[in-house]
Amino acid sequence: MLGKLIKHETRATSRIFLPLYGALLILTIFTKLALAFGAPDFFTDNVATNPIIEVVLGISFTLYFIAVVALSVMTLVMIIQRFYKNLFTDEGYLMFSLPVKTWELVLSKLIVGLIWSAVCTLMIVISFFILSLGSFSMMDLTQGISLAYTEFYSTFGTSLNVFIFETMMLIVVSTISSILMIYVSIAIGQLFNQHRIVASFGAYIVITIALQIIGSILMAIFALGNLDIVISQGNDGEAMQMIHLLINGSTLCNVALCIGFYLATQYIMKNRLNLE
Amino acid sequence: MTILSTKNLTKSYGKKTALSQINMDIPRGRIIGLLGPNGSGKSTLIKLAAGLLVPTSGEITIDGLAPGVDTKAKISYLSERSYLSDWMRVIEIIAFFEDFYPDFNRIKAENMLKDLNINPDDRLKTMSKGTKEKVQLILVMSRQAQLYLLDEPIGGVDPAARDYILNTIITNYKEDAAVIISTHLIADIEQILDDIIFINQGELVLSSSVDEIRETHNKSVDGLFREVFKC
Repeated sequence: MLGKLIKHETRATSRIFLPLYGALLILTIFTKLALAFGAPDFFTDNVATNPIIEVVLGISFTLYFIAVVALSVMTLVMIIQRFYKNLFTDEGYLMFSLPVKTWELVLSKLIVGLIWSAVCTLMIVISFFILSLGSFSMMDLTQGISLAYTEFYSTFGTSLNVFIFETMMLIVVSTISSILMIYVSIAIGQLFNQHRIVASFGAYIVITIALQIIGSILMAIFALGNLDIVISQGNDGEAMQMIHLLINGSTLCNVALCIGFYLATQYIMKNRLNLE
Repeated sequence: MTILSTKNLTKSYGKKTALSQINMDIPRGRIIGLLGPNGSGKSTLIKLAAGLLVPTSGEITIDGLAPGVDTKAKISYLSERSYLSDWMRVIEIIAFFEDFYPDFNRIKAENMLKDLNINPDDRLKTMSKGTKEKVQLILVMSRQAQLYLLDEPIGGVDPAARDYILNTIITNYKEDAAVIISTHLIADIEQILDDIIFINQGELVLSSSVDEIRETHNKSVDGLFREVFKC
C-alpha cells in the first residue's frame, strides 16, 4: 500500500512541479541564448554591451531568478501543504479511512517530499550548468578538481571523498529532519481545538528555540565553539578533526531528531487524531 | 451475526463528553437509521467505527476486530464533509478508489454516473455541492463492503436524485452487509430503514426495529422522533 500512496502522492504533486521545472528550463535556455548571441563575453570581459541587449538580459535574468526562487519556495510550500491539507482538513477523512497504516501515510508524504527536494536542487544545478556552459573548459574543470583533491590530502591527511561523503550525509539527514520537524509541528497543532494553524506555528518556534539551546549546550560540552580560533592559529590537522566531529555529531543528532519527530507525529496521528 | 459491536463506548473531547457508555450490537443484513438531533454524537459514533477517532474508554469492534487496516478495508465510509480533492477528475478518483479498495466495482460506478448525468471527465472543482455529494456517494456505494457508514448522505441532494440514491443503497448492498445511515431527514429515508437507533446528548435513547415502532407506538419513525426530541 505504501507504493500506491507514493504513486498517488507523486501524481498529486507532479502536476504543480512539472510545469515549474518546464518554466525554469525554458527561462534558462532563453537567458543562455540571449547571452550567447547578445553578449558572448559577458562573464569574462567588461566590454560595454548594447543597451537593448542589456535590457533583454536584465529581464531574462530577473525572470530566471524569480523562477529559481519560486521553485525553492514552492517545494517547501508543497511539503507543508500536502501534509496539512491532505491529512488534516476535509481530505483527511478519505486518507484516514483508507486501509493503510498511519506510518505509511507519513512515510509516503516524506519520501515524495524528499524526492521533490532532490529534484529541485538537481534542476537548479543543471540550470546553472547550462548558463555557465562555454565560460569554462571541461579540462580546466577536471584539472581544478584533481588539484583540489591533492591539496586537500596534503593539508589534512584525509581524502576529500570522505569529507564530501560525510557532508552529503549531513545534508540528507538534516533535510529529512527539517521536513519531519514541520510534520510534527503540524501534528502538535492538531491537538488544539481551535486556532490549529497558529498552534502549529507556535510548536515550530518552540521546537526551534529548544533545539538552539540544546545545540549550544552540546557545542560547549564538546568544546566546538572555538573552532574559529583553532583555524586562525593555522593548526590544520586539529581544525579538520574538529570539523569532522562537528559534521558527524550533527548527523547523529539529526538522526535522533528524525526518529523523535517521526514517532511523535505518528503517535499523535494514530491516537489523538481529531479532524475538524 | 454481528458486524458492529460496542461495549461501554465513551468518547470525550477535553471536558466535553460526546458519547457516553454506548452498548450496541448491529447485525448484518439490516439498514439502520442512526437518528438524533444536531450534536447528539451521531458523527462521533460513525467516526469511531471508521477508525478516524480513538475511544476515550470502552471498545468498539467491527466483525470482531478493533478498528485498523483490516476493518477499514471492510468499511465503506461516507463522511459528512466533501473529502475528495478538488483538482481531481472523476475518472482519477475512480482510479484512486480502485487502487486502494479491492472490492471497488468500476462498472457499477460508471453506470451510476451515467444514470445521474455526471461526466467522468469533469473536475470536482467545476461541480455544484450537490453533484459532489452524488459523486462521493456513488464511490462509496460502488464498493462491495461489509459495513457502509453513511454520515448525512442525502443532505444536499435534490429529491429526484435522493430517490435514486436510496434505491441504489437498497439494491447494492449484499445480504451479509449492514448499512448505517445517520441523518435528521427521517421522513425521506424512513421507507428503507429496518432498524433505528435514537441517540441524544451522547446517550442511547432507543434502539428498535421500525416494525416494532409502528406496532407498539402506532407512529411513524418521524412522528416518534418529533415526540422523543421535542424541544
